[in-house]
Amino acid sequence: MPKKRETESFLPLTPAMFHILLALADGEKHGYAILKEVARRTDDKVRLSAGTLYGNLARLESSGLIAESNRRPEVVLDDERRRYYLLTEFGREVAVAEAERMEEALGQARAKHLFRKPKLA
Amino acid sequence: MENQKLPFSQKLFRALVRVLPFDFRTNYGGEMEGVFREQQREAEERGGLLGALKLWKETIVGIFTTAPREHCQILTGDCSYAFRMMRKNLWFTAVAILTLALGIGANTAIFSVVHAVLLRPLPYPQGQQLVFIRQQEKKLGIDDMQFSVPEIMDYRAQNRTLSGLVEYHDMSFTLFGHGDPDRVRTGVVSANYFDLFGVNPLLGRTFLPDDEKPGASPVLLLSYEYWKNNFGSDPAIVGKTFEMNDMVHTVVGVLPPVPQYPNENDVYMTTSACPFRSNKMHVESRDMRMMEVFGRMKPGVTVAQANADFSTIAAGLKSAYPKFYPDEIGFASSASPLQEELTHTARPTLLLLLGAAAFVLLIACANVANLTLARMARRERELAVRTALGAGRSRLLRQLLTESFLLACAGGILGLLLAYGSLELITDFVGRLTPRAREIHIDSQVLLFTLIAAVGTSIVFGTLSALLSRTNLSSSLKDGSSGAGLGRRHNRLRSALIVCQIAFSFMLLIGAGLMVRSLIKLQQVDAGIVPQRVLAMRTDFNWAKYTAPEATEVVVQKLLDRVKSEPGVLSAAVSSRYPFEPETITGGPESVSFSFQIEGRALEPGQSPPVSTFASVSPDYFTTLGIPLKAGRLLADTDKSKAPGVAVINESASRKYWPNEDPIGKRVSADGGQHWVSVVGVVGDVREFGLDHTPPPEFYGAQAQNAQPATLIVRTAAEPRSMARAITTAVHDVDSQTAVTHILTLEQARYESMASPRVTASLLATFAGLALIIATAGIGGIMALMVSQRVREIGIRIALGARPASILRMVLGQGMLLAALGVGIGVAGAFVLTGLVKSLLFEVPPTDILTFSAVGATLLFAAALASYLPAKRASAIDPTEALRAD
Repeated sequence: MPKKRETESFLPLTPAMFHILLALADGEKHGYAILKEVARRTDDKVRLSAGTLYGNLARLESSGLIAESNRRPEVVLDDERRRYYLLTEFGREVAVAEAERMEEALGQARAKHLFRKPKLA
Repeated sequence: MENQKLPFSQKLFRALVRVLPFDFRTNYGGEMEGVFREQQREAEERGGLLGALKLWKETIVGIFTTAPREHCQILTGDCSYAFRMMRKNLWFTAVAILTLALGIGANTAIFSVVHAVLLRPLPYPQGQQLVFIRQQEKKLGIDDMQFSVPEIMDYRAQNRTLSGLVEYHDMSFTLFGHGDPDRVRTGVVSANYFDLFGVNPLLGRTFLPDDEKPGASPVLLLSYEYWKNNFGSDPAIVGKTFEMNDMVHTVVGVLPPVPQYPNENDVYMTTSACPFRSNKMHVESRDMRMMEVFGRMKPGVTVAQANADFSTIAAGLKSAYPKFYPDEIGFASSASPLQEELTHTARPTLLLLLGAAAFVLLIACANVANLTLARMARRERELAVRTALGAGRSRLLRQLLTESFLLACAGGILGLLLAYGSLELITDFVGRLTPRAREIHIDSQVLLFTLIAAVGTSIVFGTLSALLSRTNLSSSLKDGSSGAGLGRRHNRLRSALIVCQIAFSFMLLIGAGLMVRSLIKLQQVDAGIVPQRVLAMRTDFNWAKYTAPEATEVVVQKLLDRVKSEPGVLSAAVSSRYPFEPETITGGPESVSFSFQIEGRALEPGQSPPVSTFASVSPDYFTTLGIPLKAGRLLADTDKSKAPGVAVINESASRKYWPNEDPIGKRVSADGGQHWVSVVGVVGDVREFGLDHTPPPEFYGAQAQNAQPATLIVRTAAEPRSMARAITTAVHDVDSQTAVTHILTLEQARYESMASPRVTASLLATFAGLALIIATAGIGGIMALMVSQRVREIGIRIALGARPASILRMVLGQGMLLAALGVGIGVAGAFVLTGLVKSLLFEVPPTDILTFSAVGATLLFAAALASYLPAKRASAIDPTEALRAD
């Protein structure tokens, strides 16, 4: 129970945070890779600047939703100034809770027939 | 070097990143730069210049939204950490906050007064244009002479520098038609008085020129307070009528709640409605002076120009009326800013108190810095651990400044509450010095002052602690328990702070000591009367009913007979004033002075005529007050209005004007020889204008031959206050329309006359006491700390054969050395500063040896006492324990 309450204290996540967590869901990435992934996945609708990205990374890191990874890629590909971030177990729980929250909101919108044509059915 | 090779855009990005907190930059700055480089490359490839511009826009917005959030987060963290530290060190926190609160509170309170009285412009539009006009008889030593009606007319017609000139005097009248007859303080003013000051009415209107024409139907303006308290803020008051001086007066308006100068009045009337001022004799006589005059300078006119203007007019009057303004009196007139006029008595006292309060804050700062240093010594290890764990240097400085800022803010808030709580007391005190006291309150500017004081304080002691954390912190990790190397450096600074505290405390104590000595001297002065069991009161008859001198004589005699018949009354007298009467003290001897000629003694050219104060008294005045007869006789019941004019003089007058002859039987005249008065007796001197005033020459005229009496004085067998009701009833038995007010015992009046020096002395003494406590606690604290840092060394000394007594002497000696240094600096400072308080002292030289030695001894004794406990502890150190401890 306390865990759940702790998870919920982060909700709702800001779009930037949610997209960063989502970007890390399939593996660890460095800052620029996260930024690229978010832009690609949202058709450039969510564009993070360096300041916004690292401001969010700092907060996610300090609250334990993400962590710095110890594993580095092969030496040829590695840039030692880059740090890699991974999604923690807790971060995954928060991301899932946020997705569920959105899903519930979506369900309520459907029940109210907010969408004329049920595209997502 | 590397920076120089960077492309411009990278340099710009680096500069931009600097708005982020230091730690954030350290952590993510490099990565951000890398990301930005990649973004830039990509944007240029895809969108060219437009793409690059878009990226810059997004980047700038991103950094400027992230930066405040990050700073806030650090601040919140620092604050909660600081709160935790404050809770952990409750003793330190409480002492620091209390010390700062006392310092800041004292300054806030005094500043609120200085701000309201000395700094803020008068609460009237273009208040700096308002001037107070005065006439002087310089050769007679009269600086502030009132005006007669013809004089006012002349100044009004002839001046070229004023846009308006108005007159003012106040009287007490009885107002009928609203319940019981009500004695009202009445300001009698020119019709354009309120226009000149720029005061608009709250209800109705102010006076119009027609209201002041001779024979105009009388109109009244009510003061805001009188309207609120006596008429329950009746909105329909305008148009109501009341009877005053046997005439119907119509209320035409109510004044807004503005401070009233020069005095607070209940109602205002125009000059034509005042039975005295409109009297034909008054209107025509050039030497019947009872008015004060104010003016407003035309825009662009300076006070110097107005002054020159009035000097010219005075010169013109002298040549036009040589009989009234003979050369030997040194007649002159001048204009001075109203603001200065209202505040000049308060200025030296207020500045002295402001200086004293600033000293208290300095001492408080030094003390809190000392406490912080002592705590730093204990926190060195904690700070070193934090550094080792990666907290940046600037991060630590930030943390320390946050802590000191929070302490100062808490001190500031508590200080503000202290100041707020003492405001009424202070207003009451300042009210004795200036009519502007009513304007004192804590407003936004006072709050700003408090904030600045708190921030300044936190910067002073916060920076001190922060600077000291710059020492090599890692050494304290390696070092033993208390960081001896750092400790010694701290100790030197701490000692310097203690010396400063002692020096400042010494100067404050000297100030307070001198004021107290002066007050004691003042209290010991023999006033020349026996003030015990004497009751005095103002008795304002409705004199409109008793115009003929005989009628006055009859009613006064009836009054005295009736009062004397009251059981418990030993004697009674009426007079124009009595010793220590508050108005007499405010007005000073000048307000009741007159010049005269002595029969058979011609003035040499350029010689000034004799001047004396004057009081009109009934025969029993002297016995009632206990004034001894020195020669001749006292006044008698036979000295009636029709009898030959007589006067009794005091010894000062006898010594000054008849130094080598007997004054009895000599005759004087105050009206150029038309009427002569014989001196029939000499009585002892009375210090009636205040205990610090040397008695001036005085003439006591027989009441029946002079002005109508204003006060009743009664000597009783028992406690005089218990007789007040019976005596009031007795007065009302004679004439029920008489207002009996200002009932005071003479002892009260004497005590009140010393209020200003007493309050100044007690405020200064409070400040000095605070300083003494803070400084003594400071010495005790630092000696205790030094001992605890040197346990090992002292242990070795004892082990090597040092006797406890010599250890005691050593520690005590160090404490005393600091105190002696402080006292030495303090003596030098006090010699310079006490010159400034000279004008406030009575018969005490500013470098009074007794005060200096007493204060020095007190401080050294306090220092010895404070060092004794740590010294005792040091001498009792067990060497085996001390050596094992490490």
